[in-house]
Amino acid sequence: MFARLRSLWGTFRHRSEFERDLDSEMQSHIENRADDLARSGGLPRSEALRRARIEFGCAEAHQDRVRESRGVNWFEDLAQDLRFGARMLRKSPGFTAAAILTLALGIGPNTAIFTVIDAVLLRPLPYANPQQLVTWHGNESELDIDDIQAQSRSFFSAGGGVNPEVLTYTGGAEPLGIHAGYVDAGLFRALDVPPMLGRELSPDDDRFGGPRVVVLSYPFWREYLDGDPNIVGKTIPLDDNRYTVIGVMPASFVVPQYSLDVFVSLRVVYPEAARYRGVHFMKSYWRLKPGVTLAQAAAGMATIDARMAKDYPGEEKGRHSVPVPLQQSVTGDVRPALLLLFAAVCVVLLIACANFAGLLMARSVSRQREMTIRAALGGGRRRLVRQALTESTLLAVLGGAVALPLASLCLRLLIAAKPAALAHLNKISMDPSVVVFGLVVSLLTGVVFGLAPAWNVSRADVTDTLKQEARTLTGGPAGHNFRKALVVVEIALALVLLAGTGLLIKSFARLRWVDPGFDPARVIAINVQLPVTRYAEIPKQIQFRRALLDRLNSLPRTQAAMVGDVPLNGSEVTHSLGFDGRPPVAEGDEPEVDSFCVMGDYFRLMRIPLRTGRTFTPEDREDHPLVAVINEALARKFYAGQNPIGQRIHWARETGPPRWMTIIGIVGDVKQYSLAEPAYPAVFTPFAQTNEAWRRWMSVVVRMPDSSGSMIPAIKGEIWTLDSQIPLNRIQSMEELLGLSLAERQFNTALLGLFAALAVILVAVGIYGVISYSVSQRTHEIGIRIAVGARRIDVLKLVIGQGLRMAIVGTAAGILGAVALTRLMTKLLFGVTPNDPATFSAVVLLMLAVVLLACLLPARRAMRVDPVIALRHE
Amino acid sequence: MNEQAQLLPGTLDLLILKAVSLGPLHGYGVLLRIEQITRGALLAEQGALYPALHRLEHQGLLDTEWGTSDNNRRAKFYRLTAAGRRRLRDETESWNRLSTAIRSALSAKPQEG
Repeated sequence: MFARLRSLWGTFRHRSEFERDLDSEMQSHIENRADDLARSGGLPRSEALRRARIEFGCAEAHQDRVRESRGVNWFEDLAQDLRFGARMLRKSPGFTAAAILTLALGIGPNTAIFTVIDAVLLRPLPYANPQQLVTWHGNESELDIDDIQAQSRSFFSAGGGVNPEVLTYTGGAEPLGIHAGYVDAGLFRALDVPPMLGRELSPDDDRFGGPRVVVLSYPFWREYLDGDPNIVGKTIPLDDNRYTVIGVMPASFVVPQYSLDVFVSLRVVYPEAARYRGVHFMKSYWRLKPGVTLAQAAAGMATIDARMAKDYPGEEKGRHSVPVPLQQSVTGDVRPALLLLFAAVCVVLLIACANFAGLLMARSVSRQREMTIRAALGGGRRRLVRQALTESTLLAVLGGAVALPLASLCLRLLIAAKPAALAHLNKISMDPSVVVFGLVVSLLTGVVFGLAPAWNVSRADVTDTLKQEARTLTGGPAGHNFRKALVVVEIALALVLLAGTGLLIKSFARLRWVDPGFDPARVIAINVQLPVTRYAEIPKQIQFRRALLDRLNSLPRTQAAMVGDVPLNGSEVTHSLGFDGRPPVAEGDEPEVDSFCVMGDYFRLMRIPLRTGRTFTPEDREDHPLVAVINEALARKFYAGQNPIGQRIHWARETGPPRWMTIIGIVGDVKQYSLAEPAYPAVFTPFAQTNEAWRRWMSVVVRMPDSSGSMIPAIKGEIWTLDSQIPLNRIQSMEELLGLSLAERQFNTALLGLFAALAVILVAVGIYGVISYSVSQRTHEIGIRIAVGARRIDVLKLVIGQGLRMAIVGTAAGILGAVALTRLMTKLLFGVTPNDPATFSAVVLLMLAVVLLACLLPARRAMRVDPVIALRHE
Repeated sequence: MNEQAQLLPGTLDLLILKAVSLGPLHGYGVLLRIEQITRGALLAEQGALYPALHRLEHQGLLDTEWGTSDNNRRAKFYRLTAAGRRRLRDETESWNRLSTAIRSALSAKPQEG
């Protein structure tokens, strides 16, 4: 075996030398023979040489058999096939371009989407043994986490929580609001990523009255501390305190779902919250012990939930902690959209492959005569099939070569336009496995779809075919029917894609027209957090808030007000509500409503309509009767058929005697969470009347004279004259927020629309190919028809009828498919049923129009057939 | 000419191996040697020798080397390798068994009872 390989290798490495040797070997044989003949027979030299040559036989044939015996021919043939294939492809640039483009359009986007899917759904999270990490829906208080830690030792090896908060960092030129993770030591143990410098928070740091220490994230360390390698042991100023840096996490470290700058112990930085069971504000992450299954952990958590609900009904009644793998939880939001896109891309790929197969098929039919002649001249059947396969594979590889740059372009577009949910994907790049994926897909396509036409070629019966006229060489009705079937399948697939896209577009349009309940024009929201060190007491907070609004409202043509959380900014406070004069509700069963504090003329500024009663005035102060404004959703739900004005409500979970608030007005509903979600019942109260000192954050809303943002420096200046240490880096315009809430859908819709357009184009090309081929094959027949009196319109009907028949079968199948499949995307729809008849009719009409259009060009050609020429063509 | 028998398929390889086993030969020499050891009874088309020679070389049964022929011409010489020698022994044995069997079969006479 080795000897043979070595010999083959030697033959190839010294190819020309081998040929020379073979020549001279045979030459020397003939000369030697001639010498002998001349000597023994006394012949003249020239005659002896002639005889020797005759005796030797055909040297060419012998040499060829020598090459064959050494296995040279296989490679020789391949090279020849490739050369020949390349020549054939060059000779028909239209076909070649169509085939390569078809494949590239199918494979390129596919590879890009696969890259994103690989990065988002398939690649493991950057933690040790990520499959052991779980989390659940719903947040915990620090006391809950302590209890769960203590009671889950049999199935969790570690666990901890994190709450994203804003801290003021005053080490730079401007005070900066940075994202701090209020964490416990358990979180680091659960995630189990070793720090890059120093150490993580230990249980010794994470205790009430513990040292003020901080762990930095890599981006924060790079950007704000210049990547100081000796940072450990130094201090940085956070919220008027100095924190000692004990460690820096590596660049790969992220706390799931958040992007955080620093990590501090909740018990150190915010001990009040850590001591309060009702503050469910920590997202918790847990690590399964080795060998423990998800089901075991779920059973364990159910027991703990039940125990906690019994011990603390007021705070823990609604517990339902079902552990899910972290990967699933992290990717849960984007998964349906990504899978939909992947399905769309697969459809496009299938259509592209079908088109490719159709192109090869048509070509093989038109080349049947050539193939038959080659077979008649002694071309081996296997050799012919191989030739055809080589050509289609060559095309596939070329298609793949064009597809890869296209894929990287698509990927760049995808990342540039990525929705917020993919924001953590900064490092998506085409890795080798994805490139291999693209190449394998293209090669498989070439081989599989090259095989059918190749087989078709090899089946050609030499004598039969040669006897027939060129006109009838159509590959038989079977071949053409196969192509038609391919086109029908393409139409069906494209229709499914179109239906899905139509539904998304309609959802998006519906969503765009949703009234957010406020007017975002020229309104900015400045998110401000008052540091606890200077604003712990409520009077101080109120004083600051009033002064701030006074200053901003004194700016020319500028209105300002404030609210706890501006709509769509992703945070809110909920409270349990109690009603005056209604039977008491068991602890833990009170309704939860949104609770917002406001100051200034918030409703008028945001143009939130007042339905009845009045809104707050400056008279609704701290020492005046407590008042509240409710939204329509609350009025509908809790005061159906009653007038809520003058009714009293209170926060059910407060200690001490109830602080009754009188309802003075009802305002319109506002989309607080997202445009797709209904408004929740909400209660607005004046900041001046709150007794909750922890409400130290707010969104200052300012309606500006224009949308240029030129006022912003003046606004910042006014605030900084009040307190120069307040960070003002978190400013967003309401229009931006509104846009962001639509961004992800816009992204999905645009992308799916792109793929649907691609599919439609490919289908149109496919139909055009089949119809124009059939017209060219039927020129003779059409000529006869015209000669015997068919009118142009009859010819048009003939051609278009052929296309329409395919379209009708295809769309019918497509509708069935769409009805079955669009149900799977219900989650992505808004205000549209998955089988929306209007959308379906629209896409069917669109499809039929595309088919007609694709038929029109060949139909025109058919109508122009001159019977005289067509018949003489014979 | 008609006294020369046609070569049975496969026998050419065996004859080449045998010819070369008696000493290194160039292609034409192999032909002469076969003519000589078969006493002219077997003859192949001269060029047909080469595919066989190359096949045997490719299989590692023969080794080659360029040298000079008796007529002072440059020629490629073939020599038996160890593998070739083993193959020759095996093939000879099986050929002998076969030919003995055939001969005895063909020399069988009707039994007189």
